[in-house]
Amino acid sequence: MICYNCGATLTRNPFCTNCGVDVTRYKKIVSSANIFYNDGLEKASVRDLSGAVESLRQCLKLDKSNVDARNLLGLVYFETGEYVAALNEWVISKNLRPNKNIADDYLSMLQDNPTKLDTYSQAVKKYNQALNYCYQGTLDLAIIQLKKVLSLNPKYVQAHQLLALLYLNSEQWEEARKVLLRAQKVDVNNTLTLRYLREASLVLNMDDEHSETKGKGLKKDGLKGKREKDDLYAPTVLPRDTRTITTVLNVAIGIAIGIAVSYLLILPAKITSAQDGMDEKLKTVNEQLDLKTGEIAQLEQDLKSEKGKNEKLSSELEVYIGEDGAVTAMDNLLGAVSRYMDDPESTNDIATLLDKIDGGTLEKASDSFVAVYNKLLGKVGGDVGSTYYDSGMRAYQNESYADAIADLTKAYSYDNNNGDALFNLGNAYRKSGDVISAIDTYQKVIEQFPDTEMATRSQQYINELNND
Amino acid sequence: MINFEEELKKFHPSLEIEDAEEAIYNQDLTDMADLLVSLVKEEKETEHSSESATEENEED
Repeated sequence: MICYNCGATLTRNPFCTNCGVDVTRYKKIVSSANIFYNDGLEKASVRDLSGAVESLRQCLKLDKSNVDARNLLGLVYFETGEYVAALNEWVISKNLRPNKNIADDYLSMLQDNPTKLDTYSQAVKKYNQALNYCYQGTLDLAIIQLKKVLSLNPKYVQAHQLLALLYLNSEQWEEARKVLLRAQKVDVNNTLTLRYLREASLVLNMDDEHSETKGKGLKKDGLKGKREKDDLYAPTVLPRDTRTITTVLNVAIGIAIGIAVSYLLILPAKITSAQDGMDEKLKTVNEQLDLKTGEIAQLEQDLKSEKGKNEKLSSELEVYIGEDGAVTAMDNLLGAVSRYMDDPESTNDIATLLDKIDGGTLEKASDSFVAVYNKLLGKVGGDVGSTYYDSGMRAYQNESYADAIADLTKAYSYDNNNGDALFNLGNAYRKSGDVISAIDTYQKVIEQFPDTEMATRSQQYINELNND
Repeated sequence: MINFEEELKKFHPSLEIEDAEEAIYNQDLTDMADLLVSLVKEEKETEHSSESATEENEED
């Protein structure tokens, strides 16, 4: 203990040994403060928190510098949910004794846990909001808000008490009692809690007594007002057997309701969940299908393109290896050359091979091919031509004009100087009735062999045919 | 029987964190020891003034 005048440590003497001031009354005050502190500590240790608050406040009124009492008061406030009040006490305590003060730990505990601090802050704000709802008369909202408060801070005694008051006001006695019992676990000897609890218990006990009285067929006097009104809704006490059956029925109905609720609430949720899963799978499959379809389309396109290339190459190959192809034509020409080299007199065989080389092939063929062809034709053309001419004339004489036309055409093609072949070809056309071909052929005779007997006769035939 | 309106008056808003600073500054920290000190001081002043008044009277 220190002197209030000079700050020196006091002794057992009733005065300060340093400044001489009388400290008798001061010592009594500090002593009384200590008694209150001890009382507060004792009450706090048995969870009589409201009693502890009273004692500790008294202590601090006597001696504000009692840091232990202030710290304990803060702790009690904190326990009852009044965390800002607790902070106040600890901050003041810290100012009074900056070093070796447990308030440091308490403050650090809150500062190091901002989430917890925010939760407490929210609880207080919601409590104040609920109180406002009460003032405004919106009690249902206040109850909802207070339930939230208690979920955030279950030790908030004032919130419990206010919620209990609201329940008492709405005559929810059992609910009020439960809330008050929870508040009592935090602060066992709170006067307000005890008063509300007594009120709720009183009504509940009266209800019980009333039920029992009615069960015995007795009419209880003295219960008026609300109690009488409640009688109308009081359950009828049934015989024991009937009650057993009723209980069984109630259990059965409960199970049925439970099953129904399962089907109504849980099953749809499961179905929805399963459907979601299926939808997701379907989506994935569709995506894969689209991908594969795209790949197939691409492959089909490629196949089509390759088929086109193949056909083009086949047709090109056909040009070379087909019946009228360059390769066949080359074979025929080489065959004809070979045959001529073996036996130059075998004009029929050579002609047969050369006939297989048509004009179209010759147009596309290389210069060397055409040169070889023309040279061989020059060597054997005359003989071949005369052979065809002879056979053509035989056919003509036999009036087989179709064969005559074919052979005489070949005869003239092998030997362009054979005017007789051309003239008789015209005759064969004329005799066969092909007037146009006949006139054309006779015209060729006139042009290629002018001033000859054949030309004169050709002109005569042309005139005759034109006149016909 | 509990009167709801009357009971409601007993409930007051809790201090919020925003109000903490102001609450600390405005808290009345005067204790019994302070009162004692002021009383002692007043007593001394009274004694001092009465002594000086007596001395003045004696001089007169």
